[in-house]
Amino acid sequence: MHRMVAIGQNPALAAQLRKGVLEYCVMALLQKEERYAFDLVRELSDMDGMVISEGTIYPMLARMRRDGSVETTWRESSAGPPRRYYRLSPAGRKALQGFKKEWSTFREAVDNVMDGGENDG
Amino acid sequence: MAKGTVEHYMQELDGELRDLPPARRRELLEEIREHIGSALEEGPGEGETEVRNVLERLGDPADIAEEARRRFGISRAKPGVREIIALVLLPIGGIIIPVLGWIIGAILLATSNVWTGREKAAGLLLFPGGLLPALSVGVTAARMCGGSTEVGGRVAETCSGASYSSLALVILAVLVLVPIGTTIFLARRMNRRAATG
Repeated sequence: MHRMVAIGQNPALAAQLRKGVLEYCVMALLQKEERYAFDLVRELSDMDGMVISEGTIYPMLARMRRDGSVETTWRESSAGPPRRYYRLSPAGRKALQGFKKEWSTFREAVDNVMDGGENDG
Repeated sequence: MAKGTVEHYMQELDGELRDLPPARRRELLEEIREHIGSALEEGPGEGETEVRNVLERLGDPADIAEEARRRFGISRAKPGVREIIALVLLPIGGIIIPVLGWIIGAILLATSNVWTGREKAAGLLLFPGGLLPALSVGVTAARMCGGSTEVGGRVAETCSGASYSSLALVILAVLVLVPIGTTIFLARRMNRRAATG
C-alpha cells in the first residue's frame, strides 16, 4: 500500500520516469567507467526497444552535459582525431542512485497493479 | 559517391537545426559527423551500402532536430502574418506602391525565420521588383504599339499585336512567370515547414 502512496505523492517524478528513463540508462552505462560517445550511443541503441534513432541520443547527451549530470573530456585516439569521452559527474551519480530506488518502487507498484493486487503486501 | 551521401545528410540536418542557437547547432553537427566517422571505421567498409546503413540508424534529420528542440525548449519557427504579407508584397507590392512595396516585402522575407538563407536568396534575386518589371515592359510596349493615328479621317493602328517581336514576348513571359513561380516556391516551402512543425 505504501508504494502506491509514494507514487501518488510524487507525480512529478512519475512523469519524469516515463519521459526520462533513457537519461538514467545513459548514466547507468557510465557508472563503472567512462565511454566514448559512439560506443555509448551504439550500446544504448542495441538495447532492445530503447531507441529508434541513434541521432536523437545526441541532443539528449547535450542536454545532460548542460544539466551537469555528465562530463566530457577529449582524449587522444590512435585511430585518428581526438574522441569525446563521457563520464558520470558526482551529481549524475547521485541522480542515478535516486532513480534506482524510485524505479524499483515504481516497477513493483506497476507489477502489482498489473497482477490485479494479488501480491499486495 | 558515399561521401556525397554523407554531405547531403549533413546539409539536410544543418537545415533542420536552424532554429537552434548557432553554438548548439555546430556542436550537434560535429558530434554526428564524428559518429558517422566512427561508425564507418568500425564497420565493414565505407561503401555506399555501409554509409546508408549508418545514416539509417542515425535516423531522419527532422526527428533529430525535433528532439533537439524539445530538449532545449525551442519552438519551431511557425509561418505567420509576416510571411503572408511577404508573399503578397513580393510579386505585387512593387505595383501597389512602386518599388517601395517590393522593398518592404523583401525586408519581411529577409527577416523571417521560416525560410532558409538559400530560399531567401532565391526569393530576392530571381525577380527583384516582383511583377513590376513585367508590368512596366508590358505597358511601355503597349504604349508604343497601341496608339492610333488619324490618317485622312480614318483611324489606323500604328501597329497590331503581331508586331510584338517574339523576343519581347519571351522576355515578357519570363518576367511574369519567374516572380509567380518563385512566390509559389516560397509558399510551398513555408507550408512544408508549417506541416512538420
